[in-house]
Amino acid sequence: MRRQVLVSLGVVALVALVASWVPVAAQGQAGATTPNAKSGGTGGTANAKFVWDPTAPAPADWTPPRTPWGDPDVQGYYLNTSYTPLERPANLAGKAMYTVEEAIAAFKVQVAQDAEVDPTTVHYDWKEYGMEAWQSPIRPNRRTALVTDPPDGRIPPITEEARKRQAARQAAEQAKGADVQSPGMYTRCITGNGGPPRIQGGVTVESQIFQSPGYAVISIMSGDTRVIPLDGRAHLPSNIKTYLGDARGHFEGNTLVVETTNFNDERNWRGSGSGMHLTERFTMANANTLKYEFTVNDPTTWTKPWSAEAPVPKIEPPLYEFACHEMNYGVINWTKGSQIREKEGIGPNGRADVFREEAEK
Amino acid sequence: MRIRLRGVVIMVAAVAAVTVCVTAVSMSAGQAPAAGAQPYRAPRATDGHPDLNGIWQAFVTADWDVQAHPSNPGPHPETMGVYGAQPGGMSIVEGGELPYRPEALAKKKANFDKRMISSVTNDPTRFDTGDPEIECFRSGVPRSNYMPFPFQIFQNASQIQIVYEYKGQIRTIYMNPHLEAANESWMGWANGRWDGDTLVVENTDFNDKTWFDRAGNYHSDALKVTERYTPISPYHLQYEATIDDPKVFTRPWKMSFPLYRRIEPNIQLIEFNCVPFVEELVYGPLGLYKKQPK
Repeated sequence: MRRQVLVSLGVVALVALVASWVPVAAQGQAGATTPNAKSGGTGGTANAKFVWDPTAPAPADWTPPRTPWGDPDVQGYYLNTSYTPLERPANLAGKAMYTVEEAIAAFKVQVAQDAEVDPTTVHYDWKEYGMEAWQSPIRPNRRTALVTDPPDGRIPPITEEARKRQAARQAAEQAKGADVQSPGMYTRCITGNGGPPRIQGGVTVESQIFQSPGYAVISIMSGDTRVIPLDGRAHLPSNIKTYLGDARGHFEGNTLVVETTNFNDERNWRGSGSGMHLTERFTMANANTLKYEFTVNDPTTWTKPWSAEAPVPKIEPPLYEFACHEMNYGVINWTKGSQIREKEGIGPNGRADVFREEAEK
Repeated sequence: MRIRLRGVVIMVAAVAAVTVCVTAVSMSAGQAPAAGAQPYRAPRATDGHPDLNGIWQAFVTADWDVQAHPSNPGPHPETMGVYGAQPGGMSIVEGGELPYRPEALAKKKANFDKRMISSVTNDPTRFDTGDPEIECFRSGVPRSNYMPFPFQIFQNASQIQIVYEYKGQIRTIYMNPHLEAANESWMGWANGRWDGDTLVVENTDFNDKTWFDRAGNYHSDALKVTERYTPISPYHLQYEATIDDPKVFTRPWKMSFPLYRRIEPNIQLIEFNCVPFVEELVYGPLGLYKKQPK
């Protein structure tokens, strides 16, 4: 079903996404309550209020919502994608923030680049479902990269231990040869987008945050359901390792803070190990935007912790079921193709490498 | 005199206490409260409706067979021994029998024969595999509620979410507003309402791929499931599902069983991501799985 979703998502996605993006975009235009509207100073264009400005205060005429039982309310349906790169490009070294005008210009360039795809590859990209980038609620970002710490906007170097681990993994994969376990978590339908944390972009980008007394639940269409107890209980015993990790949450002011541990080695998120400690912060920045921050700490993998921040816009409900593993003929085709390429001697994974990068970037 | 009176009072109190205990025991043994007894009133959620939040689990053997069934050694006694054996159990179906149309009963039997066959292909128009459960596919409704895994209900006024330990699969029950399905799906589409203290869920828009059990009992895409969740004690929900599928059955039929609250203080759903568990089963026959050296 993995591939079919993108073909037959035509039906669901065009109906669901386009139909939902348009009203959201319209709300954005109608509302003057985005923080960017108040930021002023750096830009005088009509589009300035659509630019995400992380330095702007929350709107003065907006009160962060609460649930009926008194918790900060971060519930909603969200689109977890972005035109902002995860790491700061080399040509922007030393420049953490665009001006508003620069952010709009960069956005236009990023949109244009995104449209330039290799037509011979499968292009897994939510943006194809909108006819025009401004129809989606994704907006220009004054940040030049999602990574906020280290201050250079780059993920820290990996450790020697991590380098050895990755080399051993690759050697084992080469020795084994391509089979259904060769592609990543997404293609195998083991997890929907490789996280947590949720890196902006890639695939399976719609999510929901739901709250009930004592719990938050974060789900995506394909069913990576994270149940987050808020009662301060201890983490699971360390021998229980999982793909999604073991999440514990609490509130700090209006922010939902989630600490996640107990990851397994198999998920191999960006080369991380099972000792990774993830801290995520979910804060409503205005009525339509969630500020999502995360910090990754895994001394076995990176020389120091690193953090990122992204604006996550709300979309209209609901989510639809994405039965990924049920008849996953995509992974069958991927593996058959890779095995043929191996026989032809075009590298261990041949053309399929392109697909893997597309799917799991 | 005073002392004697106190003795009588104590005796009366003791008799009353024993009576209460006996009543309580016979109630729990006989399931339903006696006629005329006060119905149980559940604690309220913030919206005034019964609070169903919690981790629940059915303790029936219906995932093997929703109808009455004896114990048997299971499909692979030569390797699994007692680990793979099937326990016996009573029917959860009202009246015991499923009202199959004659041709549908034949298909049920064929399903049973192929229940352990996995024949996933890269042809999306084909679907002729055995029991979806054995391949870690979504388990549908109502089966998800009586598989041998706990599930958790999260409730607020606008939605009720049910997260199952099996696969982490999720159902959203739209309470207010109700929403419409876009397409058919494995877990169906659920809109809910309160009927007194009972949560009533209308489930529609199913595909025809899930089964009711490992015995091959099945449905078509005409399936409609009406569920009723009624709190009957702080620790029990009475569950009832009416199955309406005119393509397969001659009339609607009903199943019911209690759901038990998991009360361990450290209870939580433990990730059961079964996809990697079945890669050898599903893709091995296609020559796409290589055993990893241990």
